[in-house]
Amino acid sequence: MDNQWFFLAANVVVWGGIIYYVYTIRQRNRALEKDLELLKETLSKEG
Amino acid sequence: MMNPDAVEENQEEGNILVWLTGLAFLAAMVAIFIYVPTEQTEGVVQRVMYFHVPSAWLSFFAFFIVFICSILFLWKKEREWDIYAHASAEIGVIFCSLVLITGPIWARPIWGAWWVWDARLTSTLILWIIYVAYLMLRTQSDAGSMRARYAAVLGIVGFLNIPFIHFSVLWWRTFHPPPKVITNEGIGKGMDPTMLATLGISLCAFTLLYFLLMGVRVRQEKLKDEIDRLKREKLYSA
Repeated sequence: MDNQWFFLAANVVVWGGIIYYVYTIRQRNRALEKDLELLKETLSKEG
Repeated sequence: MMNPDAVEENQEEGNILVWLTGLAFLAAMVAIFIYVPTEQTEGVVQRVMYFHVPSAWLSFFAFFIVFICSILFLWKKEREWDIYAHASAEIGVIFCSLVLITGPIWARPIWGAWWVWDARLTSTLILWIIYVAYLMLRTQSDAGSMRARYAAVLGIVGFLNIPFIHFSVLWWRTFHPPPKVITNEGIGKGMDPTMLATLGISLCAFTLLYFLLMGVRVRQEKLKDEIDRLKREKLYSA
């Protein structure tokens, strides 16, 4: 049966989905780190 | 307050889990693309099963964790359980989305239709909608602990759909095939041993991925709480 394109599409969806989710987690991590740095900076300025 | 030693220890455990998950996925890919034979009637597309079934398992497992943690949160009123439930619901929704996309891709060449409104497919779609609503509730509402309480109730109610999804293929005549792994003859009796082994490896890889993602998301939520606490302290001291 010539249906390998459907299998390929499923692969793209699964890997694409997982990679995109990991990417969003990394973005959220960066935002949190930035927030933390900003907070540390403000607190150290206030002494 | 977070203990620096505990953070370092968690990081080490996280690294081991990253390697284990990577190796498990490598093994799963070798099994799916090289080891397992092509099914005779469905052809290559049947290999979608090795992504579709583990994604379904992972989403059900994630929602089970939401169910347990939501009960514990309502009982003990500890923020920790709410964090676990929230993180698990997010992962569950991601993998439930993958189930709902890979299913139609597999169905199209076999059934001749992308989607049919049979009991299994419809109840899985309802499950997805419930947990998307759960995540929306968490982002839209600003009511603090009330928001967590409403979400916990929804997390518990949503899980009650899962036994219905499991038994739907046995109770009604559906397009979706009945379970092949757990059958009346015993576990794995309805499948070729090589297919069963490949599915097992894939299930292990997806389960490890769940624990890896959970670890990261829980750490993130705790850090977010810590930042919010520091911000509040600063605000009150000003």
